[in-house]
Amino acid sequence: MRAAGGFVLFGLALGAIPFLGLPAFYETFLYLLLHAVVLATSWNILSGYSGYFSFGHGAFFGTGVYVTAALVAQYNWSFLATLPLAAGAAAALGLLLGAVVFRVRALRGELFALLTLAITFVLATIMLNKVDGGPGIQVMTDIPKLAPTASGALYLLMLAIALITVWSAYAVFYSRFGTGLFAIHDDEDVAEVMGVPTYRFKLAAFCLSCALAGLAGGIHAVFVSYVTVAETFSIALAVNVVLMSALGGTRHWLGPAIGAIVITALLYGFTAGQAPVLGRALVGVILIAVIVLMPEGILGKVLKHWRRKSATRPSSGTEPELVRAPSPNSEPILVVRGVSKSFKGVHALTEASFEVHRGEILGLVGPNGSGKSTFINVVSGHYPADGGSLVFEGAELIGRPAHRIARAGIARTYQVPRPFAHLSVLDNVALPPMFGRVTMDRASAEAEAWRWLEFTGLAGKAHVRPAELNLHQRKFLELARALASRPKLLFLDEVLSGLTPTEMDEAIRLVRAIREQGATIVFVEHVMRAVMELTDRIIVLTYGKPIAAGLPRDVMRDPQVIDAYLGGVHA
Amino acid sequence: MPSATLIGQSVLSGVFIGALYGLLGLGLSLSWGMLRQVNLAHFALAFLGGYLTFQLAARLDPFVTLAITVPLFFLAGVGLHWFLSRFAPDMLNTLLVTFGLTTIIEAAIQWIWTADFQRMESAYGAMRWKVGAFYIPFPEAATLLLAMTLCGAMWALLRFTDFGRAARAMTEDPAMAAAFGVNEKRLGYVISGLAAAFAAVAGMCLALTHTLAPVQIYAWMGVVFAAVMIGGLGSAIGPLAAGILIGVSEALTMALTAPTWAPLVSFSLLIAIILFRPARF
Amino acid sequence: MKKKVFMLEVRNLRVSYGAAPAVVDASLDVEAGGLAVVVGPNGAGKTTLINAIAGLHPAEAGTLRIAGTPLSGMPAHRYCDHGIALVPEGRRLFTALSVRENLELGSYRSAARARRAESLEEVCSIFPVLKERLDAAAGVLSGGQQQMLAIGRALMARPKLLLLDEPSLGLAPAIVLELFRVIRAVNAAGVAVLLVEQNVAAALDIARRAYVLEEGRIVAAGEPRELAAQPHIQRAYLGLH
Repeated sequence: MRAAGGFVLFGLALGAIPFLGLPAFYETFLYLLLHAVVLATSWNILSGYSGYFSFGHGAFFGTGVYVTAALVAQYNWSFLATLPLAAGAAAALGLLLGAVVFRVRALRGELFALLTLAITFVLATIMLNKVDGGPGIQVMTDIPKLAPTASGALYLLMLAIALITVWSAYAVFYSRFGTGLFAIHDDEDVAEVMGVPTYRFKLAAFCLSCALAGLAGGIHAVFVSYVTVAETFSIALAVNVVLMSALGGTRHWLGPAIGAIVITALLYGFTAGQAPVLGRALVGVILIAVIVLMPEGILGKVLKHWRRKSATRPSSGTEPELVRAPSPNSEPILVVRGVSKSFKGVHALTEASFEVHRGEILGLVGPNGSGKSTFINVVSGHYPADGGSLVFEGAELIGRPAHRIARAGIARTYQVPRPFAHLSVLDNVALPPMFGRVTMDRASAEAEAWRWLEFTGLAGKAHVRPAELNLHQRKFLELARALASRPKLLFLDEVLSGLTPTEMDEAIRLVRAIREQGATIVFVEHVMRAVMELTDRIIVLTYGKPIAAGLPRDVMRDPQVIDAYLGGVHA
Repeated sequence: MPSATLIGQSVLSGVFIGALYGLLGLGLSLSWGMLRQVNLAHFALAFLGGYLTFQLAARLDPFVTLAITVPLFFLAGVGLHWFLSRFAPDMLNTLLVTFGLTTIIEAAIQWIWTADFQRMESAYGAMRWKVGAFYIPFPEAATLLLAMTLCGAMWALLRFTDFGRAARAMTEDPAMAAAFGVNEKRLGYVISGLAAAFAAVAGMCLALTHTLAPVQIYAWMGVVFAAVMIGGLGSAIGPLAAGILIGVSEALTMALTAPTWAPLVSFSLLIAIILFRPARF
Repeated sequence: MKKKVFMLEVRNLRVSYGAAPAVVDASLDVEAGGLAVVVGPNGAGKTTLINAIAGLHPAEAGTLRIAGTPLSGMPAHRYCDHGIALVPEGRRLFTALSVRENLELGSYRSAARARRAESLEEVCSIFPVLKERLDAAAGVLSGGQQQMLAIGRALMARPKLLLLDEPSLGLAPAIVLELFRVIRAVNAAGVAVLLVEQNVAAALDIARRAYVLEEGRIVAAGEPRELAAQPHIQRAYLGLH
């Protein structure tokens, strides 16, 4: 709560400015500065944090502008009363848009950017024809007497909004919500599989971002006092917010504000004669330079040098616990019945049926293309199945969104490690406990993460980015991340491939230790000696179907299995 | 209800403007579809071409100015591709960098030619034919002809030559194309150069048929993007067909309702395509 | 004793994916007109090895020589100029192009382009089913037909060395039989072949020299019949000792 205190003090200090008797020019300049801070920071809450770059921020700002302008000019509302509606209308628009767009998996990246740009133009056209009528709207109203001058009063209002906006960005940044958004940015599919409710989070971030922009728009309508569609919905706004955030750093709550201050100062430094043109050219040069030289923005670059956080390591050396279960029996924890999955005509799984017994280590083996990885992807919810049923502890999994499957207690590793690239190793492992079967708060999640890092030997690399790990460490990171959510059923997808014999022995030891604590493990692997050593039972898949199941020695001597592997074809 | 002649003339003008959309879209389609670079600066480049034509038209016939602008712009395209592949490999970053470039070019245009509207005076401006009840102005007809010729030629190039096959293979699987001898880098330069050269021609047509102003650059972005996305990324003829479709719809909308509703057509189409066929991109 | 002419010489090749080594210290030879196979279980590094030989993936260390010419430092698109043609894992056809266009692209390199018509005739006679479907889009062909097209595309380059990566993957046994017959015929016509396969029996049957790749290393080399009798293969594939 120290931060809250800091914000209030800062706000009070800035709030004193209108009472200093400065010329109106300064109050106007400061207003515009704050206006830019609000727009850039609100944009960043969705776009910077989650990676969904919107080029349509102008649409929501414009909605706020026009709601206030129309209500004041055409219906004689009091200006302050229109503000909640301005925010609400913008948020509603964002909700509507997001509800449709965020459902469609393919709409990411540049498509989302273009879609939001198109929305701005459509909205502008509708506003022009239906609300504005062409010549614009004159907004004449009484401004509340908050300060000696009108511009001072507007400055104070915008200051309030700026404080709310930056505070929101700060709060989200340090919350579980924010961690989820950053995970979505790095790898949305994996985030979903780890338990992050991606659709809900994106929608929430979008609505918040739009509401704040709408609020700023409401005030701006009164500031400019004459509102036109061309000025309000200009493409310049859309791009300026992107530029400001990129300059300051999109991955930080304060980045957009810094960028906004720099750019606004630059633009208003050039006000005489031909200078505005130069100013715009300079803005373009800066944009290019920033993207090329400082892809992480000013703040990103500065913070890189400050990354060594002093970590509070919990002193407990106890081994972490999973679900305690009795020794392996034949009670099924997962029942697979007739599960099928095809990709563009290729049948990856064809009516596969088998059972996984509670507490066992089950080996899932088979030649290349036999459907092993596909099976894991279907169980974890990465892909929807085409048919069949998957019953986990009595509940049907097929049709459930991936984050709910994670909540049920299923975890998996990826054959090619997919860590969240911009989160530290610690944050990577702390994420599943916040969203998995046992949802913890941040502090407990971090403590949990430390325990698993120690278990896998990665404690020394806790604050490092995954890119700095070697393959063996990355595979163990996958393992730690999967374990951190305390799953009941764990899928290991070729966790040993690429490891040296020594590293492999260590991994085998770890897998045994995990089972000893009660988790059921399904182990997809090609390294046959590991499979023989570790597994209680083996199931062999070929062409998407199981052809044999039983004890390892027996199964691998089965003539059908030998045939599948070595091929019975003699040319 | 407007007369048949008015509707017919509207359709005709829709076709003409659509041809310009297609011509502007040709370069964008190639660089986006084949090189995976969304080049926002394409529009600024076209306008620069238009302004250069305007400048040179004082001494030269506008069509002759192409002999200067086309090679110049081809080289600019090569340079741009070099810069983008070196410094902005990410799609989103390319979008931002090219937007920065657009701002710079726009500022340069305003510096040299001012923000005022400029209209190129040429003998062609006054020429027009009457076919039945309809007027066919020469500049617009020339644009249509140029658009059809260039789009058609590019289509043929892509369809029937080794270069075209190599480009299409490279778009799909650059590593495998390289395994058969396709030099991705060199092809990239050629395609980027061509896209910029087409921008030069589109610029000339712009100068011929429209009044130029720096702020106009942004007005064309949305509708041409729509034409390219509807016509198909990497297609040479698609954007032209889509452009004409959009142009005619806009013209009819204008004739039957009010001009200010026209932008709704292209953007709504664009939104619909993005929402219902995202896999095309 | 006659000195052997090697079409392909690989010495101490090391190929990595980022920090992880996938192929370590691999050495093998293919004689001019020879037919060699590399067998090994999944994850052994077979595709990495063949991609490195084809130029698709850079090798960190070691040497590659084709017909005596060293290939180090050469850009990917120059490999085929030296007579290498690849039939990659999963076919990797250009689905946006027709069958004919895929074949034409196979002969993109200048030396092959001159003889395109002749090559097309030959490929069509080897694979009559392609001749019937020349104008179909490559993406609509069946798995077996696609594999034939992939081989045909490589043959259009008039290679001296044909590289095949798991051509039998996902195909029915009857088609696999036909495929291997074609590979033997192509080899008989003078093209050296390096075949990477998971289907051990079929591979050892046609090869004149065999290598076993396990966890990135060549653990055995020799005559196919000798190798089949040794415990290496059993151990590598089935984990039995």
